[in-house]
Amino acid sequence: MAQALRLTVMYFRAYLRDRTAIFFSLVVPLMLLLIFGSLNLGAFGKVSIAVDDQANDPASQQFVATIQKIDTLIVTRDTADSALAKLKRTELDMLLVIPKDFAIAPARPGQTVPTLTIYGNASRPQQTSVGESIINEVVTRLSYAVNQTAPIVGLKVEDVQGVRLRYVDFLVPGILGVNVMQLAIFSVAFALVVDKRRGVLRRLMATPLRPATFLASQVVTRLIMATVQVLIMLGVAVFLFDVHPLGGILPLLLVSLFGAVLFLTIGFALAGWAETENQVPAIAQLITLPQFFFSGVFFSKEASPEVIRPVTNLLPLTFLNDALREISVQGATLWDVRTQLLGLLVWTIIGFALAVRFFRFERF
Amino acid sequence: MTAIVTVRDLRKRYGDVEAVRGISFEVQQGEVFGLLGPNGAGKTTTVEILEGLRKLDGGEAIVDGIDVTKESQKAKERVGVQLQQSAFPENFTAKETVELFALCYNVKVDALALLKQVDLEDKAGQKQEKLSGGQRQRLSIATALVNRPRVLFLDEPTTGLDPQARRNLWDLVREIRQSGTTVFLTTHYMDEAEVLCDRVAVMDHGQIIAMDPPRTLITALLGRGFSKPVIQQQANLEDVFLDLTGHELRED
Repeated sequence: MAQALRLTVMYFRAYLRDRTAIFFSLVVPLMLLLIFGSLNLGAFGKVSIAVDDQANDPASQQFVATIQKIDTLIVTRDTADSALAKLKRTELDMLLVIPKDFAIAPARPGQTVPTLTIYGNASRPQQTSVGESIINEVVTRLSYAVNQTAPIVGLKVEDVQGVRLRYVDFLVPGILGVNVMQLAIFSVAFALVVDKRRGVLRRLMATPLRPATFLASQVVTRLIMATVQVLIMLGVAVFLFDVHPLGGILPLLLVSLFGAVLFLTIGFALAGWAETENQVPAIAQLITLPQFFFSGVFFSKEASPEVIRPVTNLLPLTFLNDALREISVQGATLWDVRTQLLGLLVWTIIGFALAVRFFRFERF
Repeated sequence: MTAIVTVRDLRKRYGDVEAVRGISFEVQQGEVFGLLGPNGAGKTTTVEILEGLRKLDGGEAIVDGIDVTKESQKAKERVGVQLQQSAFPENFTAKETVELFALCYNVKVDALALLKQVDLEDKAGQKQEKLSGGQRQRLSIATALVNRPRVLFLDEPTTGLDPQARRNLWDLVREIRQSGTTVFLTTHYMDEAEVLCDRVAVMDHGQIIAMDPPRTLITALLGRGFSKPVIQQQANLEDVFLDLTGHELRED
């Protein structure tokens, strides 16, 4: 144990001297966060919505006034045709059409209910879904008021979250997840393939050092690195972007480290399979790139084609990002995200089996 | 004299290739023993079995009273190892590299003293990957000495070194031998074997075909009527090279 600890200290010290490793594990993640976080800081916070009030009567005016008071919405009046054109040019997030028969009154039996139509911007699913949920909420409230009934389920929490969700709030958990993945897979695969090819591992195995002790030091070194990475990113998110992870920092860190362990097993399997370090980037990209795009890092995973969703929903990074996002955005506890944690566990077992199957200290 | 390495009917095959075909020999305590042979003769396989890095297929290998197949961990504690390619983890200084290996053996060492012994004390703080070939070979020997081994295995220690670095390494091997450590080396340089080894075994196609002190082997060859055209030459090109460039080690 003391041996493993001292070995970890030695390897961590060497790791800190490796400028390339530091660049990829700290600088690049920070750049990603800063670029994406600030790019969309203002624009993504609000949802721009055009209203075509075809009824234009006191009832509809009251309705429009209500949604104009909502902070998150930038409401403009427009005609449907002109607004649809703007939607296509992505100058608008949504269009709300209020029909001529609009009324705020209980519907008589047999009478058709006036229908509000929402046109969403498919290229901005995040804004559209936020806007939809707000409009939905307003309509629900109006219905309760008119029907003189109380809501069966309190929706207040949902409302607050829907309104306050900014892009950066959505982004931060995804950035955490993707960087933990990159750090774990790339750092371990590169370093160990190089050491394997050059015969370093073989030389170490000529000493009485137990392989498990060596591997433990490698794993712990990366977990320390991942911890530093996660804390720095969360620090920037909290202090620079005013993100408030509702579920707390510690659960986010714990889930991130769980993810790191999972991706480390994949890194070790890759290090075992690859003969030279040139093979590492190709295979590592093959593993990480689809997850980069389909696991909900920069945009909602709902944006991916529906046919592939049954697959993308089962990707390791999807489980990790979903868990992190629910904790950060919805204030979920570790118990609340147990399904995702179970998914991560299954992947960890698969990764571990692959690592045991492929990882060798020698080339032959 | 007592044997510190005993090999009996050692066999190893890789697929269809019989790399070692039932060799037997002993290495005496305190001697420098050379295993000679062309590339592919089975030298490295033999050494790596003795080092506990490979499993044997048949026969027996005993180092310092320990059966390397049955107790490879314990055997590893008794020997020092220099592999053919000496590579160490990157971003470790020379001193840290020695400390790393001391930690692998779970022993405490004076890393600076060891580096001084191999003439590297002024490189202690330098990253090992910045060292020259000869310096790295000497560092490699320092790491092989951290556990005060009973037997030091050197696998082609001077391959790729310039004449100065080679001679420097020979001096180091002699010093190590003087301190009482048995040295087991492989080489395909016959001049190296001749000046360093008390006894040599010549290996080819997985078998030992001759084993004796170098002088004895030469005398026996001459006794069989061997002669080559004698050119009276008091010096050779290497002597010229060393005279021109000096014996001092070069820092490249």
